[in-house]
Amino acid sequence: MDLLAAVFLAPIANMASNPEFVLEVVIGGLLAGVMYSLVALGFVLIYKASGVFNFAQGTMVLFAALTFVGLIERGVPIWGAFVIAAAVMVLLAVVVERLMLRPLVNQEQIILFMGTIGLAFFLDGFGQLVWGADVHPLDIGIPKAPLIIGGVLVNEFDLVAAAVAASLVAALALFFQRTPIGRALRAVADDHQAAQSVGIPLRSIWVIVWSVAGVVGLVAGIMWGSNLGVQFSISLVALKALPVLMLGGFTSVPGAIVGGLIVGVGEKLAEVFWGSAFGGAIEDWFAYALALVFLLFRPQGLFGERIIERV
Amino acid sequence: MKRIGEPILTVDAISLAFGGITALSGISLEIRRHEILAMIGPNGAGKTSMLNVINGFYYPQAGTITWKGETRRHMRPYQAAAQGIARTFQNVALFKGMTTLDNIMTGRLLLMRRNFLWQAIHFGPARQEELAHRTNVERIIDFLEIQAIRKIPVGRLPYGLQKRVELGRALAMEPELLLLDEPMAGMNVEEKEDMCRFILDINEEFGTTIALIEHDMGVVMDISDRVAVLDYGRKIADGPPAEVRISPEVIAAYLGQQADPHPPGDGMGGG
Repeated sequence: MDLLAAVFLAPIANMASNPEFVLEVVIGGLLAGVMYSLVALGFVLIYKASGVFNFAQGTMVLFAALTFVGLIERGVPIWGAFVIAAAVMVLLAVVVERLMLRPLVNQEQIILFMGTIGLAFFLDGFGQLVWGADVHPLDIGIPKAPLIIGGVLVNEFDLVAAAVAASLVAALALFFQRTPIGRALRAVADDHQAAQSVGIPLRSIWVIVWSVAGVVGLVAGIMWGSNLGVQFSISLVALKALPVLMLGGFTSVPGAIVGGLIVGVGEKLAEVFWGSAFGGAIEDWFAYALALVFLLFRPQGLFGERIIERV
Repeated sequence: MKRIGEPILTVDAISLAFGGITALSGISLEIRRHEILAMIGPNGAGKTSMLNVINGFYYPQAGTITWKGETRRHMRPYQAAAQGIARTFQNVALFKGMTTLDNIMTGRLLLMRRNFLWQAIHFGPARQEELAHRTNVERIIDFLEIQAIRKIPVGRLPYGLQKRVELGRALAMEPELLLLDEPMAGMNVEEKEDMCRFILDINEEFGTTIALIEHDMGVVMDISDRVAVLDYGRKIADGPPAEVRISPEVIAAYLGQQADPHPPGDGMGGG
């Protein structure tokens, strides 16, 4: 009885009595969610274009951030470091296409998936070899002061991160959905051989997509790195992207965004208002529980292509 | 009356093996401008392998391919598509999650401005170009009589219609050479008649050269100008349908009489 009350009554009463605080939590959740969306985007891009779940996305985020912070520590100015790190990610895309995707063309998806696991291990080791295994603090000059906007407390850093993510997403949406590239992309994801037969340059498409995913990873890495320091646990944020993808659908760019926001808001609300009922630390597993519910009732996610259309 | 011209594609002494299995051994073949060439032969004779060599999916170990006067060791799929060779597949290879319209539009990708990236950035002109291509695609849709399924994801269409959409996608590329791998497989009589009509119309109206693989002998004899017969990776006959039909070697290959010099299990590639 006590538990039921703690789960169903107390939090609601608590929320009703303090609406401004709820708003604050929701906004904090939205802003945190944007960061999840950013990581999830990288997955969606590669999944759409090659039908492969890129296990190495988290490691790519880490590797990009490490490269960025490594360059800054060696005295390269921020914009220079960004450009060089982006170039490194493009180079990585070229190498991945040449050494991994090209030999595996027309193979089962599971084989490509195994390839990306190998890539994750390689990048993990390679990153440590080149940049060392220490935690690198990263400060790119985004102010972290708390702001009061309309009586609601907001972290300025979160605002900047949200703005960056939003503009990145808008650019990507235009790039991939309003151009013939979008169609080529879906074609490649659907059937490699047929795509080749109409002359879609498979290799260029892959390089483009992996490059974009790499640069998105770089942005995500910089944002997360400024928050937590660049360290190997960053590659684990990719795990948080999984529930986001299950909510939003693996094939949908808008889905990744909305999914990230739902997870962000959901876990903050759950932590603050339901945390005490479950003994705290709900934030860590709430997203996965939510994803599980989605898997039961809507396996394609909110925006994913209906599976029936793909049989 | 159409005039069959000079060879547009010549394959010379092509050999292809997968490991120890020989799919094609020293085949030479010409495809002449504006003709309809039928390739026939028992299963595993190497017909599909031949198409795969022509459009660059397979790299032969020996021989050359001459396309419009340019001789190569092998084609690449992108090259073949860019230079006017389109094809359909034995087991329909469509983009199943996409609509009929979008599937056929993919056939226009190469005809859109070459620079992919530029297109991605440059919206205004790109949209106009898209519209022009759309008009073209609508014409193909009318031609193939598939207006009613324009907006349906092709994964939901019956097999016969899928084959038609696949033909439409190949046509959208405005090919000079159209390779059709068993365009009528799994169709009922009515669908076959429609498909025959389309193939003949394409050949006559657009002058498209067509090489097709087909098992239905009635169809082959009706629509083709020339028939090439493959057996165990070799070419055993090549000529007008009436001649090929009475060739003893062809009859032997189909009926398996003792004239067949190959014991069963002799190397042959995937059909």
